[in-house]
Amino acid sequence: MPIPQLLNDIISLLLLLAPSAALLSLMLAGIALWSEAGASFAIGGSFTKWMFWAVVFLTLEPLLGWFPSFGVGVPLPGGGISTGWLESVQSDVAVFVTNFIVGRLVPTCAAYFVLRAILATASGGHPLPSILAAMFLLGSETTYNLIRSYNTGTPYAPADVLDSLWNHLVGTIMPVAAVLALVAAILNFSVRKPFMKHVAVSLALLSVSAIWNLVLAMM
Amino acid sequence: MNLGNMSFDQGVLNLANWMGNVIMPSLAGLFIILAVIEFSKGREFSHSMYGAMACLLVSGLTRAFETFAGQRAWNDPDLYWIALTTLINWVGNVILPVYAAVQVAAGALRTGMFSSMHPGSGGLRHFATAALCLLVSGLLRLAEVFVAQGTAGVT
Repeated sequence: MPIPQLLNDIISLLLLLAPSAALLSLMLAGIALWSEAGASFAIGGSFTKWMFWAVVFLTLEPLLGWFPSFGVGVPLPGGGISTGWLESVQSDVAVFVTNFIVGRLVPTCAAYFVLRAILATASGGHPLPSILAAMFLLGSETTYNLIRSYNTGTPYAPADVLDSLWNHLVGTIMPVAAVLALVAAILNFSVRKPFMKHVAVSLALLSVSAIWNLVLAMM
Repeated sequence: MNLGNMSFDQGVLNLANWMGNVIMPSLAGLFIILAVIEFSKGREFSHSMYGAMACLLVSGLTRAFETFAGQRAWNDPDLYWIALTTLINWVGNVILPVYAAVQVAAGALRTGMFSSMHPGSGGLRHFATAALCLLVSGLLRLAEVFVAQGTAGVT
């Protein structure tokens, strides 16, 4: 029995909405980054959960390539959505997410986080989590493009993307974070607070790959 | 606002540059002021003084740390250990001799001011500190000899 056209169109609609869902996941990841103290996100926490879903949404089609090996055929419809009102739903939702949420709501949210950084400092907290969350939100579109560029298109694509993100985090962002740790060490030393931890962390951030290989060598 | 041109890693990089090149040199002035005020009240002021110097040295210290962490290949399991050892060697062989010279100068100044030289005087403590700064490797070797001789246990 042929698959009804409406069902094919609904499948196409869901697949075409996956990039929008990924953008929403990245926005929620940015907010979660703030709630999880910013500088040290929890593995298994909200930030990693939303990042994982962003990766899954962007690699949904390659991931479905596993089903034939399980003996389940997944014939993906091609050629877009032929039902008019479903096509307009898809384009409307995509435009809503791109223009309203990413284009307007995300910068406003980031601006609130900058204000929150000042208020957190005033109330004895730390401004860094809010600043990092604001930066993550403002960079969500670039992060989205980065994740897309890491998509290998194979059934292993989610793992490939997560591997590439780890490499990007360790090779690009952590050496810069080492400078921030060094700054923290200097400030702590100047105000007579413990600073050796930050020195050790700064060196560790410059050699994360080596520490990973050290753990591998210990196994 | 073009969000397509904004990236998280570029933002963090600019934050680090702003902290290191703009804020920290400004804070150096603040710490020097604090050091002067603490000195005037007879309080310990060295943290503020050395902190001010370190605030001006963020770029240099970063390059030093990069050198410490670049002694081996990026995936060498011993890299972190080598980096820590190099840091300790640098402190012991570069910083402490300079600190020894400072202590000798401080000891000479204090001895000249108070004209007294007895074991409890501050001048002698400065000279002893200078000697100890120059003897870090020797003290470590001495401790190693003690430990090595004690490996047989107490009989």
